[in-house]
Amino acid sequence: MGHSGQGDVRAVNLTLRNGILPILLLGLFLTLSACAREAPPSLEGRAQSIDKQLICLQCPGETIDQSQVELAAQMRAVVRERLEDGWTRDQILQYFVDSYGEAVLAAPPKEGFSLLAWVVPPVGLAGALVLLLLVVRSMRVRGEPAGQDSEQGQMGEYLAMADAEMEGVGDGREGD
Amino acid sequence: MADLGSISLALAVALAAYSAIGSGLGRLRRIPELLESSRLAVYVVVLALAVSVISLVGAFLTNEFRIAYVAENSNLAMERIYTWVAFYAGNEGSLLYIGFVLAAMSALALKLAPPRMQDFLPYTSMVLMLVLTFFLAVTYFMANPFSELSFTPSDGQGINPLLTHPGMFIHPPVMMAGLVAVAIPFAFALGALIEGKSGDEWVDSGRTWGIVSWALLGSGLLLGGWWAYTILGWGGYWAWDPVENAGFMPFVALTAFIHSIMVQKRRGMFRMWNIVLINIAFGLALYGMFMNRGGPVPSVHSFGASSLGWIFLMFTAIGVIVPFAIFFLRYNALKSRSTLESTLSREASFLVNNLLLLAIAFVTLWGVVYPLISEAFRGSVVTVAAPFYNQVNGPLMLALVFLMGVGPLMPWRRASPRTLLRALAIPAGVGVGVIVILRLIGIGEVYPLLAFGICAMVTTGIVAEWYRGTRTLRQQGNSYPLAFLRLIAGNRPRYGGYVVHLSVLLLVLGIVGSSFYEIQRDVVLQPGESAVIGEYRIEYVGTESSFRGDRTEFVSTLRAYKADEFIGEMHPQRAFYPDFQMSSTRASIRSTPVEDFYVVPSELSEDGSAGFRVFVNPLVWWMWIAGPMFMLGTVVSLWPRRASDSAPALDLASRRRDVEGITGAVGQTGSD
Repeated sequence: MGHSGQGDVRAVNLTLRNGILPILLLGLFLTLSACAREAPPSLEGRAQSIDKQLICLQCPGETIDQSQVELAAQMRAVVRERLEDGWTRDQILQYFVDSYGEAVLAAPPKEGFSLLAWVVPPVGLAGALVLLLLVVRSMRVRGEPAGQDSEQGQMGEYLAMADAEMEGVGDGREGD
Repeated sequence: MADLGSISLALAVALAAYSAIGSGLGRLRRIPELLESSRLAVYVVVLALAVSVISLVGAFLTNEFRIAYVAENSNLAMERIYTWVAFYAGNEGSLLYIGFVLAAMSALALKLAPPRMQDFLPYTSMVLMLVLTFFLAVTYFMANPFSELSFTPSDGQGINPLLTHPGMFIHPPVMMAGLVAVAIPFAFALGALIEGKSGDEWVDSGRTWGIVSWALLGSGLLLGGWWAYTILGWGGYWAWDPVENAGFMPFVALTAFIHSIMVQKRRGMFRMWNIVLINIAFGLALYGMFMNRGGPVPSVHSFGASSLGWIFLMFTAIGVIVPFAIFFLRYNALKSRSTLESTLSREASFLVNNLLLLAIAFVTLWGVVYPLISEAFRGSVVTVAAPFYNQVNGPLMLALVFLMGVGPLMPWRRASPRTLLRALAIPAGVGVGVIVILRLIGIGEVYPLLAFGICAMVTTGIVAEWYRGTRTLRQQGNSYPLAFLRLIAGNRPRYGGYVVHLSVLLLVLGIVGSSFYEIQRDVVLQPGESAVIGEYRIEYVGTESSFRGDRTEFVSTLRAYKADEFIGEMHPQRAFYPDFQMSSTRASIRSTPVEDFYVVPSELSEDGSAGFRVFVNPLVWWMWIAGPMFMLGTVVSLWPRRASDSAPALDLASRRRDVEGITGAVGQTGSD
């Protein structure tokens, strides 16, 4: 523990080159936040992004954006008609859900029971992350006492190994 | 032919079962004669299956339509070269193929196993032969490719036209081989576990065969994407189709495994974890094969209506439950040799890598099973398709690529934050610089900016590491090219891994470019008319049809212009197969590193007009470069070392940093 603390103190004492990193990160943040305001996409662009959310029920797994069958072409036409009439994206999607059922959506809606589909992955990941941290901590606690004492000895051994190997490479011992 | 093939298949079933029982019993009761005969039986199984395979090929070549499988999958008009594809075009033949591949790989793996594995090798052999017995028994009793019709048809039904594409010569057999090859590292792990070994004996062979099946799956997936892109005519390469997912999940789990196994190889850690990982990968591979054979979800990949689904599902369940049961019984033998010293270390970064990869695998699995859950609990059918996977897996994959840039810079055991920051400064600086430049030239979306920035960072990290290592060796009197080759030869797993990492970056380029900046248009043109798509303009000249035995081909001619400059003629094709009431398309693609211009026919009207779907797909070219690079990296990292197989890998740069990390003495070999 004491060892890594020392490292932290040194890390705070940044050299000029390391100082570039925070500045760059700030620049990155500003750049990305500038992305928020984008020109609204064209009607065809909006239509295609809706197409990608709708499944062609005649050809499982394909969205109407991909499918070449008649039904998909008709559905694409409906999407464009409604957009021209001033419908919103959500209204159009809802219209198709009303006519064909929820299966017409390429992904489950983020509401009601279907929220489950979206919540399980992040919750599971968070749980796994916590579990991982706990395991890592328990591994470290178990390893701590032995680690401190033998460090000097191991270090010397490793230095020697590393040096020997660097020479070995120079001699072409490993090359084919 | 049919009799010979069928009899040798029956012989193979019996001998595989004998070998499984004999290996297990022989080891348990210490009967050397039984062990020896079981060992030899494996080779006889390979021979018997080879005879079956040759008989079936012979039946195709001589048009023996009395054999139902031959009649269903070929006809007199079929060009002989497609026999290769027809062989595995249906359930029966593909099962025979899988059995043969598994038998041959098992024999090879057992033969090549190093001496220190000999004492538990019988158990490994037993596991492999049990799996093989299952496949062969299913083939023989339920899907026999040699079963005969009661009459001899004058002609067969012919081959599925979708399969007559060069990609189909490699994609299906490579995928199937990859799925079944997972059984080999799995059997090594399980064999060691049954014997009660401490855990490190199986690692070298487990890693090698893990990489073999991983590389097969990886290249199979890439080839599948390439096939979909050129044939299916929707301008895409990946659709998160349930069966694509079934091949993708074991690949991802194996990716976790081949990283994690390096930690065990180097540091004797993660012994239990690696066994869990290979069990998961094997379970997912079995699931993948189940999806191929009458799984619950309809797909372009299903082998027709197949009644084998339930049998495969049961076998999948057994293949997951039994190994985990053995694992819990042997739990105590698997204590790690050393412990994790710091959360800032290569070991820890591998753990995060495993976490992300497994998360991707399980999100994918979740997407596949969620519709079943929804149906069971609310009775309403839902679809889980591309938008779900893109939204949930997208960020995970981006995080993984980021980790790809940070992890390899970490030393084993323990990194000091300061050395890590120093190592990261230049790559991160380049990454951020790229983001700022891209933003200035007008790229607005957050995702592509982050992805391109991270790609630049990872590339810089890899190149910097290569440069530093090469320079060190160059100072010892080698020329630059020689120094570079020596560097790579000195630690093949590491530098081969870097090449694979670079290929992943190329994939990311293509995926991001085509998902965010694709242009898609449907146009209908009379001869002489033209349409504008982005910077491109196409002028429709006309369509010619020609009759070719089993199909009518329609070849359209279009003149393509970019920025009003003529860039060439394009010939998208459509073929109609009256026997199948099916048409297939072949896109015409002008591919450049910047973007693909892609035209695929959609419909022909009576009035002489023709419909086309046109795409501009940026950066896709790089994805197909990634394939050969992926293979190159894999070959480098698998290339055997000349001397012994057990010495720890030479890892010059990282060993040096190990030392620096421990002492805190920031090195002279650092980045200055």
